[in-house]
Amino acid sequence: MSASRTEDLHGAAAPARAPFSLGELVRRRPESITFALLVAICVIVAIANPAFLQPSTLIDIGRASVVMGLFALGVFVILAAGGIDVSFTAIAAFAMYSMTVLVQSYLPGLPIVVIILMATLGGALLGIINGLLVHHLKVPSLIVTIGTQYLFRGFLLSFIGTVWIMSLPPQMGAFGRMPLVQFESANGALITLPFYFLVLPVAAFVTWWILNRTLMGRAIFAVGGNADIASRLGYSLRTVHVFLFGYAGALAGLAGIIHVCANRQANPFDLVGTEISVIAAVVLGGARITGGTGTVLGTLLGVLLIVVLNSVLVLVGIPSTWQRLVVGSFILLAAAFFVTRQRKK
Amino acid sequence: MAAQAHSAKQSASLLELRNIQKWFGGVHALRGIDLTLQPGEAYHLLGENGCGKSTVIKIMSGAHAPTSGEIVLDGETFSSLTPIQSLAAGIETVYQDLSLLPNLTVAENVALSEQLVNAGGRLALLFDRKRLKETAERALAAAGLPTDRAFLNTIVSDLPLASRQLVAIARAIATRAKLVIMDEPTTSLTRREVDNLIRVVERLRSENVAVLFVTHKLDECYRIGGYAVVFRDGQCVAQGPIETYSKKELAELMTGRSIDAQRYRTGKPSDAELLKVDRLVAEGVREMSFSLKKGEILGITGLADSGRNELAMALAGVAPATGGVVTLDGKTVSMRSPAEAIARGIGYVPEDRLAEGLFLDKSIFENEIALIVSRLANSLGVVDREEGRKIAARLSEEMRLNTKDLNLPVGALSGGNQQRVLIGRWLSIAPKLLVLHGPTVGVDVGSKDTIYRVIQALAEAGMGLVIVSDDLPELLQNADRILVMNNGRVVAEMDAGRATEDELYKAMLTTATESAQ
Repeated sequence: MSASRTEDLHGAAAPARAPFSLGELVRRRPESITFALLVAICVIVAIANPAFLQPSTLIDIGRASVVMGLFALGVFVILAAGGIDVSFTAIAAFAMYSMTVLVQSYLPGLPIVVIILMATLGGALLGIINGLLVHHLKVPSLIVTIGTQYLFRGFLLSFIGTVWIMSLPPQMGAFGRMPLVQFESANGALITLPFYFLVLPVAAFVTWWILNRTLMGRAIFAVGGNADIASRLGYSLRTVHVFLFGYAGALAGLAGIIHVCANRQANPFDLVGTEISVIAAVVLGGARITGGTGTVLGTLLGVLLIVVLNSVLVLVGIPSTWQRLVVGSFILLAAAFFVTRQRKK
Repeated sequence: MAAQAHSAKQSASLLELRNIQKWFGGVHALRGIDLTLQPGEAYHLLGENGCGKSTVIKIMSGAHAPTSGEIVLDGETFSSLTPIQSLAAGIETVYQDLSLLPNLTVAENVALSEQLVNAGGRLALLFDRKRLKETAERALAAAGLPTDRAFLNTIVSDLPLASRQLVAIARAIATRAKLVIMDEPTTSLTRREVDNLIRVVERLRSENVAVLFVTHKLDECYRIGGYAVVFRDGQCVAQGPIETYSKKELAELMTGRSIDAQRYRTGKPSDAELLKVDRLVAEGVREMSFSLKKGEILGITGLADSGRNELAMALAGVAPATGGVVTLDGKTVSMRSPAEAIARGIGYVPEDRLAEGLFLDKSIFENEIALIVSRLANSLGVVDREEGRKIAARLSEEMRLNTKDLNLPVGALSGGNQQRVLIGRWLSIAPKLLVLHGPTVGVDVGSKDTIYRVIQALAEAGMGLVIVSDDLPELLQNADRILVMNNGRVVAEMDAGRATEDELYKAMLTTATESAQ
């Protein structure tokens, strides 16, 4: 075997042609672990409590995934370029609360489409501020976004308001209730998969398309692989940074407005504080925290995993306070698994 | 034949540098360089570290602007180039660090640049996946690499270093280069891989692409042929067909002094045994046994995957052995960590001195005393800097460092001087056994000479030395005995005074099963 290895440069050049093995699959597609975990949990829960398989539970999970999923897509795109963002929840809170106040107090007739677009654009603008700061200050994005998280949130609470808005403008509430699928369950209750659920698969597709079909997508991964080399090869770091944080900001703004519509109330203190679980979902989906890797599918699986854990533990009689223990152990397990796989190489 | 081609194309030179001067602050790095490159010709830019080779390359690739002088490119005269002008004119540089993106696939690394350049650097465009694949296949084939789907989709960080080198070259030729500059392309390659690289260069030349090498390996320059361009102190001191110069002449031109390329080894080992390795097992090393006398220099070589690197790291405790018995000076020792190896009197000069050996942003002084800080400290833990400074000064002098300023960061030194600092550090604790792993990788001729003299002096003083290297002349010139490894075992043992490079090379390719028969 060694003889053939030393004799044949081509053989040495393509170790990837090894026969199929589980280890190789996990190394190349770490999200397969996430998928396996997810399936395992679902099977166990379904056996322990068949109520899990009721449409209402599944629809709850789908509904609960939307906001976190949008956040996670943004975090993933930034992670792919080797950065990190912790300001997205503040951007979302800023966009949702300002828009609600704006519509309620000044523009009550604004159509919902315009409201959503404005929140998304507003989020993009705040994200672009992040991008410009990261690029021009040459400070790690973690530090920059910790700073802007405080800034955005402080600005919101000091200048826009701290009042909990309990009754939304009607068009926003209507959007939150608009059904995509609706049917009656066995016990006669009306079960609704809301229309806004569609936003997540659409956003996921757009993100996948940008990352895999455009030069910008390749540039994002190139910067995540090695920013210095990428810039030497002619990729404009400034363009990449601005786009990346702008895009994540837009997703955050969108997530914010959907959060408001879905909950039918606007709490300016909401959302901030959930950053870590979103980042955890992305990492559980196989993206390396050091950047340059990961997939949209993995990110969605990571989100599903966290959402399922959050919602099903109760079904099998595990106290909800245990969620954190379980999520924490999963993150450590998955991380240890990915790392040992990478070292094997 | 090379000369013919040269004269035939005299009229249409590819690139011409006229009286290029370059100052960096107060340093006169280039003192009037005149250089003409013809299409389809090979050039070897030779010279010691710091002679201005890399500055010239950077002027050609547009990374630096010359202080004065002219650059003539395709008949047009420039006072300086931008990277885009240089690339657009077909000048491609394969840097020593390869500049590959580790997380992208081979195909993307090779062919994405073309699309980026065609897009004018704008990113809001789709990329053409069909074109990407076609360009990658064409370029990989030209570089002698596989073009199947599995290889195209391999992530670059999964490739062995040698293939990465070829992938970097494939990228350079994917954009239809006219001049490919290669900065020390063969440093990390084994002989077989070098053969492949040479074939690639021949193919490029046959397609009228000029190739400019920057290298320290004269043997390869002779094999490739073409023109030698020798730099010394920012001046071009010789230019001409390489076969008209002997190795000795080139070395003298580079250093400006006469270098003796004969055998350095003159001393004899003592009779007392220093090291006995009995059936050592480590990852890639299978039951290896050998011994070493006090004052003996043992060379160990083999192909990159022969286990030679792992053996060196096992002896130094960097990647500890998993089995076998090591006896040093009559005592059984184990090296489970570098600290333990040091405590037993085993020093290790790693192959990758930048990553493993030196604190680049720290001063020469701090690097030299790194191993003896605890000895220099008093009972309160305060380090006696005066004493340390004296020791560092003595070591620097013994190692003939080219600077007296011990506060200079090591990162500012040339490769040869960095290596001297690293070896000097070991002298501070006078180990019984010193394992040198590729001691002159990326080191120029003058520094090599100094390092070899120091190695001999150490053996003379009774230290045992193990040199693990793929530089065969180095082993033949310095060692008493040479062990050749293959597949984790010793397949041949030779007397360095009598062996030849060919014999060693043949032994390197012998597999363990063949040698057992």
